[in-house]
Amino acid sequence: MIAKQTLSLLLNTGRTIKQGISMEAEGKLSEAYADAVARIELNEDDMKALGITDGSLVEVISKEGSIKIRAFRSKEVKRGHAYVPMGPWANMIVDPQTMSLGMPNYKYTIINVRPSEGKPTSLIEILAHYNAIIPTEIEDIELRGGSQKVYEYMVCPFCGELCDHLKLEVVGNEIKKVIGGCANSVSKLRNYHKHRILRPLIREGGHFREVSLEEALRRAARILSSAKYPLLFGWSSTVNEAIRVGVELAEILRGVIDNTSVVCHGPTALGAQDVGTARSTLGIIRHKADYIVIWGSNPSASHQNHFSLWIFSRGKWIKGRKNRKVVVIDVRETPAARLADELVRVEPGKDYELITALRMAVRDLDIELPSVAGVPTETIYRLADEMKSAKYGVIFEGMGITMTGAKHRNVEELIKLAHDLNEWTRFVLIPMRGHYNVTGSDNVFLWTTGYPFGIDFSRGYPRMVPGVTTAPDLLMRGEVDAALIISSDPVAHFPKRAVEHLSKIPVITIDPKWSLTATISDVIIPSGIVGVECGGTAYRLDDVPLRIKSILPPPPGVLCDDEILRRLLEMVKEYRNEGGRKRGEGYS
Amino acid sequence: MTEFLIKNGHVYDPANGIFGDLMEIAVKDGIIVNPSELSPNPKVIDAGGGIVAPGGIDIHSHIAGPKVNTGRLIKPEDHIGTCKPASNGLRSQVGRSVPNVFKIGYGYAIMGYTTVAEAASPPLEARHTHEEMNDIPIIDKLTYIIADSNWLLLDYLVDGRGDLIEAYVAWLLRATKGYGIKIVDPGADWAWLHGKGMGIDIDYELPEYGISPKDILLGLGEAVEHLKLPHPIHVHCNRLGYPGNYETTLKTIELSNKYSKGLERPAMHVTHTQFTGYKGDSWITLGSGGEDIAKEVERTDSSVDLGQLVFGPTITMTADAPFEFVLYHLERGKWSFADIEAETSAGIVPYVYRKRNYVNTVQWCIGLEVALLVRDPWKVYITTDHPNAGPFTKYPEIMALLMSKKMREDFMKDLNQVALGRASLPSISRELSLEEIMIMMRASPARLLGMKFKGHLGEGAQADIAIYDLNPEKVDVHHDYEEVIKAFSRAKYTLKDGEIVVKDGEIVRELYGTTFYTDPKVPEDSIREVEKGLKEKFPKYYSISLSNYVIGEDELRKGRVVS
Ligand code: SF4
Ligand SMILES: [Zn+2]
Repeated sequence: MIAKQTLSLLLNTGRTIKQGISMEAEGKLSEAYADAVARIELNEDDMKALGITDGSLVEVISKEGSIKIRAFRSKEVKRGHAYVPMGPWANMIVDPQTMSLGMPNYKYTIINVRPSEGKPTSLIEILAHYNAIIPTEIEDIELRGGSQKVYEYMVCPFCGELCDHLKLEVVGNEIKKVIGGCANSVSKLRNYHKHRILRPLIREGGHFREVSLEEALRRAARILSSAKYPLLFGWSSTVNEAIRVGVELAEILRGVIDNTSVVCHGPTALGAQDVGTARSTLGIIRHKADYIVIWGSNPSASHQNHFSLWIFSRGKWIKGRKNRKVVVIDVRETPAARLADELVRVEPGKDYELITALRMAVRDLDIELPSVAGVPTETIYRLADEMKSAKYGVIFEGMGITMTGAKHRNVEELIKLAHDLNEWTRFVLIPMRGHYNVTGSDNVFLWTTGYPFGIDFSRGYPRMVPGVTTAPDLLMRGEVDAALIISSDPVAHFPKRAVEHLSKIPVITIDPKWSLTATISDVIIPSGIVGVECGGTAYRLDDVPLRIKSILPPPPGVLCDDEILRRLLEMVKEYRNEGGRKRGEGYS
Repeated sequence: MTEFLIKNGHVYDPANGIFGDLMEIAVKDGIIVNPSELSPNPKVIDAGGGIVAPGGIDIHSHIAGPKVNTGRLIKPEDHIGTCKPASNGLRSQVGRSVPNVFKIGYGYAIMGYTTVAEAASPPLEARHTHEEMNDIPIIDKLTYIIADSNWLLLDYLVDGRGDLIEAYVAWLLRATKGYGIKIVDPGADWAWLHGKGMGIDIDYELPEYGISPKDILLGLGEAVEHLKLPHPIHVHCNRLGYPGNYETTLKTIELSNKYSKGLERPAMHVTHTQFTGYKGDSWITLGSGGEDIAKEVERTDSSVDLGQLVFGPTITMTADAPFEFVLYHLERGKWSFADIEAETSAGIVPYVYRKRNYVNTVQWCIGLEVALLVRDPWKVYITTDHPNAGPFTKYPEIMALLMSKKMREDFMKDLNQVALGRASLPSISRELSLEEIMIMMRASPARLLGMKFKGHLGEGAQADIAIYDLNPEKVDVHHDYEEVIKAFSRAKYTLKDGEIVVKDGEIVRELYGTTFYTDPKVPEDSIREVEKGLKEKFPKYYSISLSNYVIGEDELRKGRVVS
């Protein structure tokens, strides 16, 4: 009766290629998205132990909750581990503990897995838990034929690589071809017109009512003005021109503004606050890096042009791939590892130990253990020697570093490793920032407030206290009483407990497309898509600023984020000037 | 249309030869006009017997861009004790050495400054600099563009075609909306990319290119003078921060006479000379080269700013990346650096200047010595190289030190006495006059920036005006230095483009100033040749597309060309 056994495993969550594509092509309410993220990947031996085969239903239980999803065999996953793509299913079970850093334990949750029967947990069930309204009809923008136009040197509004060499072939208002973009980019741009929100909506009873933009903005302004402590969250998939207005809005409301860094590279910023940085632009990597470490990142899924642009390519001093050594350090054999010369498998949650050992090895100190974090000491000494003798080295650091174990301490130690290596050669550390303008968002926050994320204005001036003024913590503790979510989807990405609070407070969503957060919102304001209908400035993951261009007008009546926010700000200012007198009343 | 008549003030308008006369200044639509042009009952501003002067101009301050923002990132402790909440329609203010954008704009305006030059922008990230400058309220802004380790430029220098060097400089400034050419430890960042470049001198042979920093200085100096750019090459000398570097500085300054074309402004500006004015051969024997530098500046077609040291915690940031690497080893705290493809690098290290410290005391002396020993106030400018030698908010203190021997004596009591024993500062009795200070802060910087509409109060000038609560007939500036500091720290009024933005040391109105840039004219043939070269080389050198490198006029909140 082995088949009835329950296994205790360590859960890792992350992004997959399919996830990005299905999300853009079909939307998060689609079957395709559910297929992509409602799954658990297990090691073959563990599947045997559970007595299950590919596609079997399992129940996954953590102290947060349980879900039923289908299990699949994966060579990338070690025994004792499990992998679930980030998304609403994973959120039902991940450990929400942030250890005062703002970042939940997305990559380190203890789970029990056992075979199950019946039906998998559906998205509808999950959303019902949050009292969501599923839109009955999701519209696309109607495609009209027309003349053909070609746009060159377009900037891709998907990931932090911000590729600026895209060529778009457009017929009428249809994007026919995306040349130079990766699968994610093609999916986003070619499907820009799909499952759009085209009219402002207000939640009333159990359904959404279409309203004028004026009315939606007025409702939003009233919600925000009457809140004691509103949260303004998102800001990584919009342009700087909108973000700077958002900061002013947060300041006037004496609320909190936070961006998605808090759940991706926030720890990278915290590490920098403690020890500094060691950076270069990507062009330097192409020209000069003969030693490349990819640590806890899988660019093959998240930044698909990364390899071809900076690693396989030819630079001033490097002829191509063969002149570079590529080492992937990860807990699993990622697709990126298959493009590397060497995979170093580190035990989950033990990156800090490995980095420390590498720092010791770089300084020729004795490591009196046969292995550290699952890596033989010999290998550590060899890697250290290779790094020291490189001409120019880079560590591309991903969420495997920022989300696990010691989180910001990992980053801090990694920055110090890069610093140390500059005694022998030149070495840099570049974070693999995810959303296309999360880097710009950090930058705008910095120049307006001095802090990169998690900024509280309750005293009228900016304060940042990780774990206190960060969005997941504020939601889990139930401290904020209204939220504005812009171009982001916390319902799809925050732990259950945080989403539960979000579903209880008034929420305003500004987004071009239907997101899961939209379904629990009280006010939905549609916006134009940056990179197609709206333009502005965004920063690449290496801090290089680029101007994103727009090529088509937004749908009738739909504005760009910066304009929406400016109007909202003006209304909030009016409410404030009029004081309590008009609070709760209409404007007409 | 706002009109003002400023009455009852001692007017200091050195460019027009006015030094403390009691006269009226009329303002209409943002411009200074003849009082007769005002309507019968203009609003009157009573200067109360204080000083009326053109708005202050800072020719070198790190106020915006990637370095400054990284400084903010790595120094969250900079906020401590500085936080000022948003109120009365003004934004919140935080930070001491790397303040947020609002505090920068308000802070300068409160001191009566209305124009500030950002000291160094990497061209590839100039868009970032402009974005931050767009968000700095009140003051006018401009930025210098770093060019010395630029691969395209180095290629042109090796080719030796003067016309193409000029055309490329023109193209670069137009593309980045820059105002002038910055040279930072010439050639050092190119060497740093190869792990070299620490302490290179002007005859150093650059790896692969074979040319020297001197060739870069002469090539760019010649191009900028021939193009008649409004601002000369702005030079941070080689060997900055190294004992004995004053000789390198002298050799650098001397070059200005080689390519000078006798334009109205100097042909070379040497910046934060305090950091490049060291005698001695080690930190223990460190001495001051201030006197020699002062002489050389007077003899040549050059000018200097101080980079005056201010005691206390600050943060250093410069495109002199190899020097920051050295400083990191001295301070052993935080360190940030960035290499920018095909162009430059940067380094950032938080630092504390201590009064009892020998080296810091020598540094403090050098800045003041240079200011006191250069006799011509049109050739020397007060800066702290904000925030490198200290925050800009300390300018009033430095002005007072220069005007008062008594203040210097009082101040020196707390400093390192061994260092003072070897310095010449204690024996310098010169006290600058109010007239000279006004030249250094207002008239002369406008000339150095080639801005005829700034730095004076003549008809047609931009109505950027500062009024200070200091009656020169009643206060002895050489004696009552506390009064001087108080008055210059908080302007009684600051007018920006003819609007009152500061009253009694408080911001009363927020508006946004102009970003100035230059757009030099060069022969079509050379531009075409450069553009052809760019088409071929740019994709090889850069990781972004050529067309996306170019910053549009629409990306500036309010732009204006100066030629
Ligand atoms: S790598 Fe990123 S920026 Fe480049 S095309 Fe793909 S999604 Fe777009
Ligand atoms: Zn400087």
